[in-house]
Formats: sequence, C-alpha cells, structure tokens
Amino acid sequence: MGLFTRSRPIRSLLCWLLLAPLIALNLFPFAVMLSTALRPRDEIFINPQRWLPSRLAVENFSDMWTSVDYGTAVLNSLYVAVASVALVLLVGIPSAYALSRYDFRWKRKYQLFLLITQMVSPIVLALGLFRLFVWLGWIDSLDPVAIVVAAFNLAFSVMMLFNYFSTIPRDIEEAAWIDGASATASLIRIFLPLALPALSVTAMFTFVEVWNEFVITLTLVRSSEHFTLPLEVHALASNLYELKWHHIMAAVLVATLPVTALFMWLQRYLVGGMAAGAVK
Amino acid sequence: MLRKYLSSILLATALCTGTAYAGDVRFVVPPYSSETEPFFKEVERDFEAANPGINLVLEFTSWETLNQKLTTDIAAGSPPDLALIGTRSLTDYAAQGVAEPLDAHMTPAFKDVFIESFFSPSMIDGKLMGLPFAASARAMIVNTELFEKAGAKPPTTWDEFMGAARQISKLPGTYGFGLQGQGVEVDAYYFYALLSFGGRILKEDGMSALNSPEAIAAAQSYKQLIDDGATQPTPTSYGEAETFALFKQGKVGMVFTFPMLIPQIKKEAPNLKYEVLPIPVKTTSATYGITDTLMMFSGAKSKDEAWKVIEFLYQDKYRAAFDEREGLLPVTKAVAASDYYQKDPDMRAFTALLPVAHFAPLIPNFDQIADITVRALQRVYLGEETSEVALNRAATEIDVLRKK
Amino acid sequence: MSTALSHPPLLPLAGEGKVRGIFRMFRMSRAFWLILPGLLLTALVIGLPILILIWTAFHEVSRFGVLLSFNGFANFADVFADPLFYAALLRTIVWTAAVVLGTLLLSLPVALILNEDFAGRGFARLLILLPWSVSLTMTAVVWRWALNGQSGLFNHLLLQLGIIDTPIEWLGTAPLAFMVQIAIAILVSIPFTVTLLLGGLSSIAGDVYEAGAVDGATGWKSFRHITLPLLKPFVNIAIVLNVIYIFNSFPIIWVLTQGGPADGTDILVTYLYKLAFKFGQLGKASVVSLMMFAVLLVFTVVYAALQMRREET
Repeated sequence: MGLFTRSRPIRSLLCWLLLAPLIALNLFPFAVMLSTALRPRDEIFINPQRWLPSRLAVENFSDMWTSVDYGTAVLNSLYVAVASVALVLLVGIPSAYALSRYDFRWKRKYQLFLLITQMVSPIVLALGLFRLFVWLGWIDSLDPVAIVVAAFNLAFSVMMLFNYFSTIPRDIEEAAWIDGASATASLIRIFLPLALPALSVTAMFTFVEVWNEFVITLTLVRSSEHFTLPLEVHALASNLYELKWHHIMAAVLVATLPVTALFMWLQRYLVGGMAAGAVK
Repeated sequence: MLRKYLSSILLATALCTGTAYAGDVRFVVPPYSSETEPFFKEVERDFEAANPGINLVLEFTSWETLNQKLTTDIAAGSPPDLALIGTRSLTDYAAQGVAEPLDAHMTPAFKDVFIESFFSPSMIDGKLMGLPFAASARAMIVNTELFEKAGAKPPTTWDEFMGAARQISKLPGTYGFGLQGQGVEVDAYYFYALLSFGGRILKEDGMSALNSPEAIAAAQSYKQLIDDGATQPTPTSYGEAETFALFKQGKVGMVFTFPMLIPQIKKEAPNLKYEVLPIPVKTTSATYGITDTLMMFSGAKSKDEAWKVIEFLYQDKYRAAFDEREGLLPVTKAVAASDYYQKDPDMRAFTALLPVAHFAPLIPNFDQIADITVRALQRVYLGEETSEVALNRAATEIDVLRKK
Repeated sequence: MSTALSHPPLLPLAGEGKVRGIFRMFRMSRAFWLILPGLLLTALVIGLPILILIWTAFHEVSRFGVLLSFNGFANFADVFADPLFYAALLRTIVWTAAVVLGTLLLSLPVALILNEDFAGRGFARLLILLPWSVSLTMTAVVWRWALNGQSGLFNHLLLQLGIIDTPIEWLGTAPLAFMVQIAIAILVSIPFTVTLLLGGLSSIAGDVYEAGAVDGATGWKSFRHITLPLLKPFVNIAIVLNVIYIFNSFPIIWVLTQGGPADGTDILVTYLYKLAFKFGQLGKASVVSLMMFAVLLVFTVVYAALQMRREET
C-alpha cells in the first residue's frame, strides 16, 4: 500500500524530505532554548543575533536555580503530577472497568456526562472554581490543584482505559471466576496485570498534562512557594522592567527536558494505545 | 476496595483546612526586577533570625497579576497581612474598607524616618492607609555617543527633541527615540509628553482630560515620530524591557525611564556613554512619577507581627540596599542623604525632577482606565485611528467609569 | 480478525453482550459502585463551579467578590453592550476555524507519511510528536522570545536563510500577531491529531487494500475510496476534540500578546480572564463563562447525537 514508490530507499528519502519542514519547526524552540540558556547575560539583546554564544555560560542554570528557588517549583510540580496521576488511576480504573464489562441503565448518561466534562475547559470554570475553593477555605494549596486537574483529565483517561479494557478477552477473567477467585481478586490479579501497558500509557498522558497545567494552578495557587514550573516560568517572563531571557530559557529547559525524555521513551505506546480498541 | 476509594476521597475532602498559622506574616511582593526576589529573601532570612517564632511568608506575584491576586485573596476571606501595591490602587482598597489605617502603629521616631511629602498620596480621609515604599520620577536618558555621531545636541525643548530624534535616525540601524507601545506602562510613557504639552490626566472635575487639545497634540507628536521613522519600527511590540534593551544595545538615542535602567546599563553595557536629562519641555517642565505603597490589610491575621516586619524592613540598611539595587529614588531621609544619592550625578538628575513630578491620580478603577488609555494609544501608534478620534472615545469611556 | 469498521468510537455508546452467570443480580449495583468515584469527582469539581457561576451571574458583585444584590439580567445586558465582547467572539470563531482546519490539513498527510514503511520511521514519529511534551505556556514563552523583532532568533534564522531581508516585528501589529498565534497553535495541535489519525490508519487492515488492489484501486484511488472513508470517524473525532481544545486555548495568546495590541488578538478566553481577574468585573465574567459553557454544551450534544446516529446506521 505504498503511497509513493516500491523502492524503500527512495521512499525513505521522500518521506523524510516531506516531513523535514515540520520537524525543523518542532526542533526550533529547543534550539532557541539551548542557544539562549547558555549565553552570558550581555549576549541576549544583541543585533545582529547569533546562534552560538562566545562561551558556554553554564552558570545561568545555578544562578537561576538559586535566585528563584527553582528546586521548590520542581518538587511542587512533581507533587501535583504524582498525586493527580494516582487519583486519576484510582478513580478512572473502576469507571473504565464498569463501562467495558457491565451493562447498566445509566451507561449512556454517564458516558455523555464524561464527554461533557471533557469538553469544558478549566478556563471557562476558573472563576467558579476559585469561588468554590474560597468557600471551602482551601485556597493556595497544591492538593486542590491536584484534585481539580485529576477531574479534568478523568474523561480522557477513562476513554483510553476503556478502549484497552475492551480488548482484553473476558474469558480470562471468567476462567478465574470458575477457578473460585472472587471478582475483586480476579480484577487485581488477572485483569490489571494484563492492562498494565494501558495503565502506564494513561498514567504518562496524565503526567504530561498535569506537569504542563497552567490555568488551574494560576487561579488556585497564590504564593510563590507553591508555584509549579509553568507558573514559575510565567512569573519570570512577566518581570516588568527586565527580562532575563537566559535565565528564563534555562528554567524552561530544566522543566522540559525530563518530561520530553519520558515522552520520547513512552510515545511508541501512544499510537498503539489510541488505536487499541480497533485491533482485534 | 471500593470503600477504600470512597473513604480516601472523603478523607481528602475532610482534610481541607486553611494553611495559614498564627505567627505567619504573609507578605505579597510584586518584583521590580530580578533583584527583588533575592532581596526579599535576604530580608526574610534576617528577620526570622531576629524574630524567632514569627514566620515571614513571601508571596511573589507579577505586577500584572498583583491586583487580581489581592482581590481574590480578599474575596477568599484570607487577605495577606502586608502587600506592596501601586499607590494608585490604594483608593480601591481603602474604599472597600480592606486597608488598615496605620496611625495607631506609628511612633514619632518611626514617622521621622520618612521624607514627609511622600505621606500625602497615602492619606485618605485624613488617615494614613499605607507607607511610601518606592518612588520613581522619570527622566530622559540619552546616548551621548550617538548624539555626537549624528552631530545633534541633547534636547531641552520638545521641538529640539523631535529634531534630534529624526537626526539620529539617519544613522544606519539606529533610531532616535525608543517609544514603548506595549505592556503595563504604555500610558505612563505617553504621560511624559502629555504633561510636557501642559496637559492633565484628569480635569478639575475628575473627568478624563484625554480629549483636551494638549493631550491630542501630545499623542500626535509621538505618532509623527513613528511616521518619520524616528522611533524603532512598530513600537506596539516593545514593552518596557524590550525598549530598554534597545537602549542598552546602543540602538536608540533617547528613552524616558526611571533610575532602574542605570544599574542595568552598568552591568550589561558598561561602555555605553549616557547622560540623564529632564524630560524635554513643550510648554511645561514636568515629569510623571509613580509611587508604590506598603499596606496592611484590615483582615490581617497577625497585625502586630506584620508591624514588626515593617519596622524591620525600614531599617536604613535594607532601605539603602533596596533602593540602590532596584534603582529607585529614596523615600526615607537617611537613604536620601547617603552618598549614593547625593554624589552620584545620575541619581541627582533624577531626584532633581521630583519637585515637578506629577503622580498617578488616586482614583478607583485605575486598572481599567489604564487599559482604555493604552488601547487608544496603541490604535494611534498603529495608525488605526487618528489621535483625536481615539482619545475622544477613550475619554468618553473613562468618564462612564468615573461617574459610577 | 474483525473488520476495520468495527473500531469503537471515542466513547462507544453501544450496549454489552449477553448477561452472564451469577453476576446478573449484582450487575446494577456493582457497576454503580464502580463509577461512583469518578462521578463524584467530576460532579464536584465541574458541576459545583457551574452552579456558583450561575448564582454569581445574577448578582451585582463587588470588586472583591462579595455578592451585593440580585440584579436579574443586568450582567447579561452589560456583556451584550460591550463592543469588545463581539470583537472577541468573532475572533474566536476565526481562531477556532483556522487552527482546526490548518491542523487537519497538515496532520492528514503527516499521518499518511508516518504510516508508510520507511527507514527511521520511529524516530521521525518521535520528532513529529515532540511538541506534545512541552507545556503550552513554556512553548509560548519560548516563541515570545524567539519572535522578538530585533534580537529574536526566528528573524535571525529567516535572515540567515535569505527568506527575509529586514527583521519583521511579528507581534507588533494585531493581524500579523494573530496569524503567528494561529500558526503556533496549529504547530502544537499537530502531534495529538497525528496520533489519533495514525491510530485510525493502523486499524485499517492490509487485506482491505489487497482486496481494493484486486479491483484496481491503487494510489490515489485507494486513498480516496478506501483510506479516507475508513478514516472518517477518526477525522471527525479529531475535528471535535480540536475545536474544543482550540476554542478554550488560553496560554498561547495570553503569553504572547495578552490579547493586544489594541485588543486586536483578544479571543473569548482572554477577554474572560481579563474581566474576571484584571478588572474584577466578576458578574460580567460569570456571564461570559456561562455563555462559553452553553456553546460547549450544545456542541457536545450535537456530537453525541451524531455518534449515536452513526451507530444506528
């Protein structure tokens, strides 16, 4: 079903050539980050501009790290991401399991409801959320952020898990029931291990989403000691009178590289994951 | 298992308690520059060492989101104890009854620390609602080397200023005047011209004066400079940081700024030759100034501890460090008398302008009024509307707000 | 192997098979307990704020969020009297349509290429999906610096390549800034869309093409008559999800221009955020929130109806 030609080398070249402009645009921001983060301070606002600095100013990272207490932001981001992912899985697995294994009266309504929650964006609810947590007296803490972010990511996770779960033949569980295992035990011992790839992909998805979340955190978090990475970077870039782009880009790099690495490692599951419902 | 889920959710809900403890002093600080956070963190460390048992919690937020943060905090019923705000916003807070009058805390000795005249913007209905924290009067900084190259003379009148801007722009890759057309202080950048033209921000009756002939002429003269190619191209993409960056690169001849630019020049462009001059005069010798205020909230949970922070912060050592590192003008007598502000020619040039400085009017809804003003100016700069049309409409919109 | 047509839709609304064994009697309650946590979490986090917004929308609200008095539809009237609202609304439509269309037009060929067998395909896919891993806020911050007129590396690159000969002020005028923002939004929407489409493509079994080839359908014909129809449900899903994401997308415009210059790049979300958190006009902001929610709701219902109809036929 080759679209172009049957010769693999020529086809490969053609494919790469066609993708090249997009790939270049994707890599461009990374080049900007690296090029800027490694410059000395007086080589930022220069004209004509250049890609390579006169020397590698690696001290930008340590200067930035200490001047804004970046370690706290890293820990905050980790905390929110891990808590959110845990909550999404904890709540999402039973939902997806119910949808894939049971027939119940409210099934369609629940699916529609999930769909709606997926369609609503945090920004539309930002004001309402803020007033809600004010009313609960639970503002300026990372826990509500984790809960809210989890709620907004639930629908997508349930959908992904559901697609996977549907591919797992129920004969396997039934065989376990016949062997005398309780439903719960078969869920934990037989079903979940089979669903492990699905769980890790879903977890990764949620992790990346939460790690990058901005609007909810901007609305619910007040003090800088609770800033997550996107908020810290945003704050750095909103300095009024002086923009230290070399520090900002260093901060962006630190926040981005680990997640990008994780993403590179896990992205191969993405396509399989989203199509899982289709195969078999 | 299911019960476990449920109970963990319920537990999580039950655990929602506030995070502030007695003995915490929450202090909201919007950073002026990248020096601000480190400075206040030093203060935090020193203060906590000197006052065991009191925990100073700093909350940094950008100037852009400052009022948002404070209003939402107040709405949340958990205002901070202290906040650093633009003095122009103080009226809003005082009018809503959320600002704490400070007279009761002031001792004569503490009052004597300040330069008396800076108290007046914070006096509302005869009560002192805040302490002066930062002041800046703006001046013109010129790149003397570019003037020499272009054979121009640093201007004192507005017409000379226009001429010099055009002349310097003839040099290759160089622009005469750095015009800020984007960001929070686009209005301030225009007020220099407005005041020099003899205009006012508000009329006597409190209504907008943006539709006055002086105001329209001032905007027109900026637009003229843009059209003549005497400013950097497309000023509407230049915020203050970008405009100042042009000056540091030696690409523009003149900018209006406050002293903060000087420490930056010394660090980043040590070879740049510059001079600080008054804003050029059309009809009136004037400049625009901004003061910032340290306020306490009436809903503060630890007022006495907060006052200790204030007293600590106004020690000469910290005041001097703050003013010098941020490049701001002193508000306390001791710092004003220090060598740095007495002998340094740059600083003296700025301080000399304080007597003719007009400060932002203390009116409610200033954020929204500024937004209307900025939008009108950007339309003029972009050539979407004439200054007459844009400013007339802005004045009408502002008057609606003023009448509310 | 099942036929390619049997892949489930986004959230399949189909019923399950036969009722089995002793689980029949527990079925209802068990399913209920299983979905309850998810239901509670979303209902609380998403439902309560909406109720609060409705309540707020009908009140006069002080700058500091205190509800003063019931004022009927006054906030609604305020919004409808605001010319900035209409401008933002119109721009939101342009923004959503342009980004979604652009994303789809670029993603489709990219997905088709990535579905080919060629050397280094895995690596190419990784490079295409790369922007997904970076936060939108940070992407926007990086671009804001890269697009700086005098010192930005984007102008520098274009100058080096000889594409332009004088630097361009990308963010200085609203029309250009808006186009740049649309381009960036397309760029960051491609990875997700390509992934969705690749999933669809990989579900089209090879034997379908073989059968087609027997009937003489190859190349463009096979794409037009086999690939595209089979891919259609995935394209629909991509359109729907992208419309939602883009309609609500905040960080790109907020970080790059905050809706400026002269409000020329304001869309509903930035307008809303300014109302709520900059000007403290909470009543008006609640109204705008509710209207946006209503639009999304209508969209959801239409989408669900489409899904159901598709299943019935």
